[in-house]
Amino acid sequence: MDIITIHNLKKYYGSGSSQVKALDGVDLTIAQGTFTAIVGASGSGKTTLLNMIGGLDTPTAGEVIVDGVRLSGLREEQRAVFRRKKAGFIFQNYNLLPTLTVEENILFPLDLDGSKPDKKYFEEIMELLGLTDKMQDYPGMLSGGQQQRAAIARALMTKPSIILADEPTGNLDSQNGQNVAGLLKMTTELYHRTLVLITHNLELAQLADRVIRMQDGRISEGAKQCCRTII
Amino acid sequence: MLQNNNLKICRKLVWRDIKLHKGRSILLVTAVALVCMLYTFSFSLGGMIRDGYLHTYRMMYGSSSHILFYDLSRPQAASLQGLSKVQEAVMLSAIGVLSDDMMEYRSVKLAVVSDGWARATEAVPMQGRMPEKEGEIALDELTIYSLGIPHEIGTEVTLRWTPADGGAERTDTFRLCGWWDSLMGQTETCAWITADTAQQLYPGGVKRVALGVTLYRPGNLEEQAQEMLNSLGMRDISYTTNLAYNEARREFADSQAMEYYQLNGIVVLCGVLMIYNIVRISTEQNIRFYGMVKSLGMTPRQIRALAAWQAAFYCVPALVPGWLCGFALYAAAAPLVVIGLEQNPAFQFFRIWPLLAGALLAWLTTLMACALPVRRVAESSPVEAMRFAEGGCKRKARRSRRRRATTMQMAVFGLMRHKRQTMFTVFSLLLSLCILCGIWTQQVSYDEDKYVDGLALNDYRLEDASATIGLQRYNPNSRSITPDLLRKLAEHPAVRDIGVISTMEVPLYAEEEMRAPIIDTFEGKDENGVTRKEYMMDEPDWMAGYEKMRKSGEYTGIVTGVSGLMLENAIARGIVIEGEFVPEKFATGAYVVAAGANSYEVRTTPPVGSKFMIGNRAFEIMAAVPYESTIVSGANSRQAQFNVTYYMPMEAFDELFPGHGIRNVAVDIDRDRQEEFEAFLEQLLEGTGITVTSFGDYQWNFHNAIFHRYMIPLFVGGVMLLIGILNFCNALVSRILVRSKEFAVYESLGMSGGQLRRMLLWEGILYFGMLLSVLVPVAAAVTWVWGRWWLAHTNQWCITWRYSLLPLWAVLPVLFTVAVMVPVCSLGMVQKESVTKRLQSQ
Repeated sequence: MDIITIHNLKKYYGSGSSQVKALDGVDLTIAQGTFTAIVGASGSGKTTLLNMIGGLDTPTAGEVIVDGVRLSGLREEQRAVFRRKKAGFIFQNYNLLPTLTVEENILFPLDLDGSKPDKKYFEEIMELLGLTDKMQDYPGMLSGGQQQRAAIARALMTKPSIILADEPTGNLDSQNGQNVAGLLKMTTELYHRTLVLITHNLELAQLADRVIRMQDGRISEGAKQCCRTII
Repeated sequence: MLQNNNLKICRKLVWRDIKLHKGRSILLVTAVALVCMLYTFSFSLGGMIRDGYLHTYRMMYGSSSHILFYDLSRPQAASLQGLSKVQEAVMLSAIGVLSDDMMEYRSVKLAVVSDGWARATEAVPMQGRMPEKEGEIALDELTIYSLGIPHEIGTEVTLRWTPADGGAERTDTFRLCGWWDSLMGQTETCAWITADTAQQLYPGGVKRVALGVTLYRPGNLEEQAQEMLNSLGMRDISYTTNLAYNEARREFADSQAMEYYQLNGIVVLCGVLMIYNIVRISTEQNIRFYGMVKSLGMTPRQIRALAAWQAAFYCVPALVPGWLCGFALYAAAAPLVVIGLEQNPAFQFFRIWPLLAGALLAWLTTLMACALPVRRVAESSPVEAMRFAEGGCKRKARRSRRRRATTMQMAVFGLMRHKRQTMFTVFSLLLSLCILCGIWTQQVSYDEDKYVDGLALNDYRLEDASATIGLQRYNPNSRSITPDLLRKLAEHPAVRDIGVISTMEVPLYAEEEMRAPIIDTFEGKDENGVTRKEYMMDEPDWMAGYEKMRKSGEYTGIVTGVSGLMLENAIARGIVIEGEFVPEKFATGAYVVAAGANSYEVRTTPPVGSKFMIGNRAFEIMAAVPYESTIVSGANSRQAQFNVTYYMPMEAFDELFPGHGIRNVAVDIDRDRQEEFEAFLEQLLEGTGITVTSFGDYQWNFHNAIFHRYMIPLFVGGVMLLIGILNFCNALVSRILVRSKEFAVYESLGMSGGQLRRMLLWEGILYFGMLLSVLVPVAAAVTWVWGRWWLAHTNQWCITWRYSLLPLWAVLPVLFTVAVMVPVCSLGMVQKESVTKRLQSQ
């Protein structure tokens, strides 16, 4: 069953001769519970595609349907609630709020919603990601790897339909990167989440069920095959 | 899906942010306190102006009661008093009215002591007490002075009074037991006696009373008074309503206050700019933060709530200091705005609502400033929000032709950035300086010397106790200015010149040839086709006097003896309309100078050369001059409203009226000895009731008038300048803070701290130079053009054109200091963070 359906998705910036086509007619479906990696050169449109899937940006044309929700029909207020409930984001620079503790950061999306956290689930994630003794620390007190683990915990906490990760290991050294990547894959599999990940790291892409290659705002032909055969 | 917008998290985020950025938060709280101070100040001042006007109207009305009903029977008074809308009622039982000629401009009722009425009309003795025993009486000071009664408890007071039933005038003697300060505008007051005294004087008892009522709701008093009377079936009851509740007067008072409330419009604008400029220092960080929290699912509504909480957190600690400073400023300005009250009007007219309004507007202003960055990102997507933040740093890349960059060139390059911000800073400074210089030029163009010389004929004028205000008829028998006092005054070493004036109303007769020219003048039409008589139609006393003269030739002459300075004031300084003033002839005492109406063109006196008798002496009119009303104080009698004044030497006046009183004394002094003379004067006049008008009073009036006229524009200009300087500081600080990474790059490439500081110093100097090149010519030109325009259109007579750019020159050193110091200090703040950390920052 497809959880993400994208049809003829376009995102253009500027106009006339200076127009940039970040996405130029992308068609894509992603099945539920799979791990999809998106690879490609800088400026190929990977992040823009991920932003469109997560409702972080609005397309120039085309449509994105995530877990039955047609994003193009939503107002900003609705898109915010969609992001809060249906999508978990992991950014390269972690995007943890410096004024909140690790625990508060992880529970932040739930706080926005006014929902009570599942205590058992929370403790399980903290245990799994090795953050139990860091809960009261502020992000500035953590290493890069620890911060990214906190970001993964935050993404998982709302039990979202999809998890979107944009270069999650980009700011980490190789050892930490491998650890974070392993944890990311392990936790998404454990909780049956759909993971869409952008990376330049081919080793990390190898972990994915499927690899999509982007070039000049389009999905290149071969990329629609199973990742392992391509790579 | 659209439910569950938790707003509590917003409060937590804001509170944590405030704790993290303590310096910025303190700055913001200070700015909000300043804004709250300005609102509190202007609302309080406006409210006080309004209350001051209403207080004046209340004083003019003479009672704090809302409605005064007259000529009621006691049962009628009791019925009115019992009505549900009446909160309080005070009753007055008057047995008659003082009918001495000297009291003709004021109505003083001989009434039974009524504490309530006395409180309502501020007629409670300040010296002595209310009458308690038979034969005692308490009076107001104006009455005491008008009748020449000594200020002594127990003094016998003989009064002429007319009973309330219209019976024949009586004369009775009382013992003075107390007195109080009169309200200057009050035309009615009471002379208090006991009920026993009243019974004795008026054996039938007082059957008709007056009732003052205070209502629960004092709106539409006319309507309410009528309703009250109708509800009781009372007809033909006369009443008056308190002027302070008159709709037109309240509207006028509101309009006067509005001038001060309008100041708040500027405060809103300036306040938003000031707070926004502080918030703006971290705008990019904020917008990135909003983008981040939006990506995690924060809704636009929650983002707006963030702004609201920010405003609330900055406001709460700022309110008390804002209120205190605002009230202190108000308390300092209040006595300069509302004058003539014993207590500081700031306390007398204190109201709580200006504080509440100040707090509310301070919060709204802060909210607007905090919401400005939010507004841009609230409705946009997170990616767009991030793009806003990045957009601020984008600029077109240019290829440099030079191979080496000096610190000076880098400073020039630095100056070229943030053009919009620079334009905004220059504009706000320019606007405030144009306003300030323009207003300043107008203010200094008012010429104090011209004003004082034009109004104060002499340095000091002493006024007889019976002639201190226009409502008092001058009593020639008052004699508060004694020959001994005059001698002491003349002997004082500070006195350069002195003069006296005495007046006496004398019935005179004008032959046909004497009165015909006067009649021709008043019956003749002016350039508007209106007779001069018609202009006086609203003056029944004048009309009666004129008609009497026209028909019978009988009129009142104000025979006026003048000497020294007063002779100069009356004649030599005036314009001679007809004839010639020859001092030697005048000194013989056989000639008089006639003065009629205050006209510089038309003679309203008998013709020059006319001869007439005063007593047994013959006089001839040698010249006709305009009447100079400012040389005498007090009023003449009603029947002398139409009169001809005849000035004669004091020696001749002495012979005509031996032992006469002196109405006014004019004194010129050596102004270097002003302090010494005033101390002497204070001692000399103590307890005499004589009042003094000095050139210092005119100077004070001048300064007060200028202060009133320009206080608001100067205050607004000052606030705007302050905001402009703060904007300039903010602009300089934010220019440095947003370039912290750039400086780290320079430092990592080997630029020393000294070179960096030099670069910023040059940048500051260049920035100042750029400001100078815009501010000076534009402000100078605008001030000149505005000033000349004002000069051409103003109708003020005491102006001497003085072009001044003082505010501009005064602020330039401040701007230079700020331009040089702030960037270097800000660099110090930036350099507290390591180069590595700054290089890694986003």
